[in-house]
Amino acid sequence: MKRKKSARPKLQVQNEKTRSKGVSQWNIAWRRFKKNRAALVGALIVGFVIFLAVFDALVAPFPPNATPGFYTGETRSPPSLKYLFGTDYIGKDVFSQVVYGARSALFVGFASAAIAMSLAVLVGLISGYYGGIIDNILMRITEIFLVIPFLLILLVFLKVITSISPSGGGLSMVVLMIGLFSWAADARIIRGEVLRVKSSQFIEASKALGASKTRIVFRHVFPNVLHIIIVLTTLMIATAILVEAAISFLGFGDAAAITWGQQLQKANEAVKEAWWEGVFPGLFITLLVLGFSLLGNGLRDALDPRLRE
Amino acid sequence: MMTKEILKIENLKTYFDTWAGMVKAVDGVSLDVREGETLGLVGESGSGKSVTALSILRIVPRPGKIIDGRILYKGENLLEKTEKELQEIRGGQIGYIFQDPATSLNPVFSVADQLIEVIRRHQNVTKKEALEKAIELFRLVEIPDPEIKIWSYPHQLSGGMKQRMAVARALSCQPSLLLADEPTTNLDVTIQAQILKLMKNLKDKLGMSMILITHDMGVVAGVADRITVLYAGRVCETADTKTIFYNPRHPYTKALLTAVPSLALKKGKLEVIPGNIPNLIEPPSGCRFHPRCEYAKPKCAKKIPPLIEIEPEHYVACIRASEIEIKSPLGAKANE
Repeated sequence: MKRKKSARPKLQVQNEKTRSKGVSQWNIAWRRFKKNRAALVGALIVGFVIFLAVFDALVAPFPPNATPGFYTGETRSPPSLKYLFGTDYIGKDVFSQVVYGARSALFVGFASAAIAMSLAVLVGLISGYYGGIIDNILMRITEIFLVIPFLLILLVFLKVITSISPSGGGLSMVVLMIGLFSWAADARIIRGEVLRVKSSQFIEASKALGASKTRIVFRHVFPNVLHIIIVLTTLMIATAILVEAAISFLGFGDAAAITWGQQLQKANEAVKEAWWEGVFPGLFITLLVLGFSLLGNGLRDALDPRLRE
Repeated sequence: MMTKEILKIENLKTYFDTWAGMVKAVDGVSLDVREGETLGLVGESGSGKSVTALSILRIVPRPGKIIDGRILYKGENLLEKTEKELQEIRGGQIGYIFQDPATSLNPVFSVADQLIEVIRRHQNVTKKEALEKAIELFRLVEIPDPEIKIWSYPHQLSGGMKQRMAVARALSCQPSLLLADEPTTNLDVTIQAQILKLMKNLKDKLGMSMILITHDMGVVAGVADRITVLYAGRVCETADTKTIFYNPRHPYTKALLTAVPSLALKKGKLEVIPGNIPNLIEPPSGCRFHPRCEYAKPKCAKKIPPLIEIEPEHYVACIRASEIEIKSPLGAKANE
């Protein structure tokens, strides 16, 4: 409605004070995002986990490696007021472990996604914009990464690395591996989007106005595929967290790190007697992945310029 | 009375190497634009108008390639320039307006950002000075409340506004030649007239030359000083506007004129040119128009008609030009 008004000169004068700057696509996206309840729930969950990660020492009743139940004989004791989520096999407080696990989960998610998305964006942009032989080479490499069984190769690599050097780089190595092996699919999606944007007339127009190739790629193409990149990143974070949990559960992760996956693995041997050992970390994995997925879907709906209301 | 040429295209050939074969989109086009004049480039869809214009700036999209010819801008051959030199010319010396204002603006940046970008690309000014220049340009293209409107995003502007903005962007660095590729095709009729009038005024005000590409004879009638008619990648006829309208010598020019709705209304019947523009991979031999031409004779299929000066300043590419009597649908008003 506002738009119609501003087309009429008389009413426009009244609009002047209320609107000095235009409404950017980001403003519109934010407005749309706010209306999406599922996305807000996702943001809330993610926010909550970030809160846990930042203030873990304050929230958790026990220090990271404390085994308060060990001396009192309260190993594998069920949830109580003292131990909200019960204790594990050596008397660690499961609730404290879950809280400390939040930081690892976010570290794994953000760091892996950062590595994977940097690669994906770089390959997608270069491949899509320059085309030709460069595109051909990059896409064949991408396909190689797409066809190898992702989880299997990760496990093999991690096994090899830990057998070469027993410390193996720990959680960071897991993160690096996840990042290096999960960019391919997103690179393809970004490349496709770049191809779409590249054929738009405004790219041709900026060429006609004297813009250089690099300028066109970073100033005109990149901002127009940014919305896709943001969405893919949130989904990549969720995947990375899941993959780390899977690796840890299978016993290939960093045993010294406090992660939800490690907790699951240790709980594995006593599922029947002490369900709380596994259920709570599992619940948090599910919750956080759900949170990032909802957030990602919400962002996609909000940022896609084709979905105009 | 010959004024200096600002742009001279000689025997330009731009081909597209596609899987189906070599598409000869522009096949030996020669034309010239003189200082301060508007040249109308007219033809059906697919006649090579846009490709000619894109060739001038050497931004023909892949797989298009300029095979042959010379493009002399102020005496210098643009086809021999390096990419870097060309980037200075694009937007700085030669402005370009695209057909569809809705898609020729970047949707994620405000209009101000896009204008400032171009201004700072070609002129050594600060951001603030560039903004002032941008607002000045908005005033020039008659956009009301430029200080406010300049911060809007493309999706907030109407089609006419967007095209004004595109005109402003093309003019931002005072080019001496403006290429306008169907600048009014996607606008409604009243806005069309406004934009055309604006462009004409600005051209005179800034002392530019202009190539106006259009398929609409009505558009070109009011704006162009001279007209070059293209058909299937070749020039059919070049003459001043009045001659083209009242004394055309090429059958295709006449056919185009008969197909103008407002002229046809006088006769009560709208005529169409039978057939389609030919396949440009294997174009008809000889004169490319002969399969659709009402005056065609067997010899038309044999020889490629050269572009000859049939009378002063009037070039026609038709071997039967002197044999046939062509009556303009507007009637012969040679001395009006």
